[in-house]
Amino acid sequence: MTANPSIQRKNFWSGLGVAAVAVLLLTWVIPTWGGRGFAVGMHPRTLATLGAWVMLVCALALSLLSAIALLRTREPFVARPDLAGLWHQTWPFLYVLAFIVAIDRLPLTWVAPAMIAGLLLILGERRWHVLALTAAIPTGGLYVLTVHLMRIGVV
Amino acid sequence: MGFDAILGSFAAALHYESIAVILGGVLLGYIVGVIPGLNRAVAIAIAIPLTFYMSAYAAIAFLIGLSKGTAAGSAVSAILLNTPGEPSSAATCLDGYPMASSGKPRKALKVGLLASVIGDLLATLLLIAVAIPFASIALKFGPYELAAILLFALVFIAGMAGGSFLKGLAAGGMGVILGTVGLDPETGAMRLTFGHAELMEGVPILPLVIGTLALAEMFVQLDEYRRNKGGRVITLGKEADDDLSWPEFKGTLPTIFKSTGVGAFVGALPGLGPSVGAFMAYGLAKRTDRDPDSFGKGNPKGIAAAEASDNAVIPASYIPLFGLGIPGSVSAALLVGAFMIHGIQVGPLMLRDHPQMLFTLFSGMIVASLLMLAVGWYGLRIFAKVTSVPAHIVIPVVIFLCLAGIQVQGYGTFGLVTVFAFAIFGYFLKKFDYSFVTFLVAFIVTPMLEMNLRQSVILSGGDIAILLDRPIALAFVIFTVLMALHLGWSSYRQWLRKRLKAPEA
Repeated sequence: MTANPSIQRKNFWSGLGVAAVAVLLLTWVIPTWGGRGFAVGMHPRTLATLGAWVMLVCALALSLLSAIALLRTREPFVARPDLAGLWHQTWPFLYVLAFIVAIDRLPLTWVAPAMIAGLLLILGERRWHVLALTAAIPTGGLYVLTVHLMRIGVV
Repeated sequence: MGFDAILGSFAAALHYESIAVILGGVLLGYIVGVIPGLNRAVAIAIAIPLTFYMSAYAAIAFLIGLSKGTAAGSAVSAILLNTPGEPSSAATCLDGYPMASSGKPRKALKVGLLASVIGDLLATLLLIAVAIPFASIALKFGPYELAAILLFALVFIAGMAGGSFLKGLAAGGMGVILGTVGLDPETGAMRLTFGHAELMEGVPILPLVIGTLALAEMFVQLDEYRRNKGGRVITLGKEADDDLSWPEFKGTLPTIFKSTGVGAFVGALPGLGPSVGAFMAYGLAKRTDRDPDSFGKGNPKGIAAAEASDNAVIPASYIPLFGLGIPGSVSAALLVGAFMIHGIQVGPLMLRDHPQMLFTLFSGMIVASLLMLAVGWYGLRIFAKVTSVPAHIVIPVVIFLCLAGIQVQGYGTFGLVTVFAFAIFGYFLKKFDYSFVTFLVAFIVTPMLEMNLRQSVILSGGDIAILLDRPIALAFVIFTVLMALHLGWSSYRQWLRKRLKAPEA
């Protein structure tokens, strides 16, 4: 456990988040989807329930210890989020998600050059030959691999 | 297994096809290790799909070569860029970069390479010497012993993997829950599948490792990219005094042997990892040296200590894997995944069911160590140039490889969605510092743990007193309880100390 308030805050909120997931697992997910039926030894749900209890107990203890540390140092439980930073953390996920949607509809070898070159452009690369080669070489490699796998009858 | 069979295993490992596969792994590993930001786990995760179409031996030999190559290659960027290719090479930066900055980059790289190869080779020989007797004993264990050992290993890894013990245990809980997904082996009941037929055989390991290890790591890299741009690269010259002489190398040999011992010890304990080994060996070398003040200013013994230990950890971490079937590190857990894909159960049963393959793998590991020396020695200048490949080129290519790996395996939309979901999950694990090793090891060993627990419950009829007739199982249960109490108590004391210090600050 560290005295750094931002880490304590992280521990507190992540502990609460994990505890909430564990409660959801214990009260709804595992009883509904954890498996049913007669078992001679262990019930199909036993190990998953045990895992969820471990998560819950540890996460609550983590939150409690962090809350005590925050209260003692009179640090706030909520810090104003850095919106620019938050956006910077989010856009890569949205970018990849958009391409996953595209890959679901079009062949990867068509989508890949745009995905690689687009990300390179966003990251500040402006030299056209670097853009072209970085986009073309991995895509070409994938194309050759796919053709080879089709020829040997794997795909 | 007779002497002829062992000779046959060596002959198979020395076959040109085998050498080519291992060389490919070492070469790729070296390149990945040299590029800052790409680590061993990322490399293995994105290379697993490549091994689908290889034979089981070739696939594992390739991945072991890759693993060894990354460990040796990461020293290059640590020495020339002051940026470790792997976190475990951070200790190499301490003396490597000052030595390279003072006009001796080639000498620093050669000390690092030779220490890596010696550390790796000696630890591989130790693995061969220890794993087989270990596995022979483990074959006599019943479900009680195996369940107790697996529980002990999980608690041990949660406590030793770094960071908070509570977070480690919570991550282990997550791994256990994910490990139970799929058809229940006894009742045939569907567990946590949400009606998806794709989950009936469990969470597919490939999207899980690619998502949580490789894709999540790229998201973290993208986040860090805006903060860390640029950096000075040291280029290699041709000065004669930059060459490593025999007396200089001889001076580092005692440090290399000592550090190999430290690395092998740390590696054999599940969960500690190469970073702990490298820093422990560095600390020991500094404390026992006649001139400890020269450490941190370009002392070759500092490089030798960190590299020998870092590389010794990897083969040693396979001792619990081959001996007991317990993966003690992320790379060992990934190897278990690769073994599973090829239908082989790694652990003591390998000695009984696939002895030829086990010995061929061991021989292949020795070949990999020697190839590491050749690749590192002759490719020094090329690898020095690879360090200048910028992160903004590496990241898009790795993201593409992650998605391509899933597509080529035919996982389709389900695989892509799964890999994305696990990337988000892995990102949060990394950002909030939840132990990834514990999560992955728990996920991998849960089916084995469940099977042994279930057999124990059935055989004992639920009577816990049966443990009194099984001293090994009882000892491990007691160790587990003591370990959990000790780790909980030391975390509490640490927290109390920080709390008492806080008002003074």
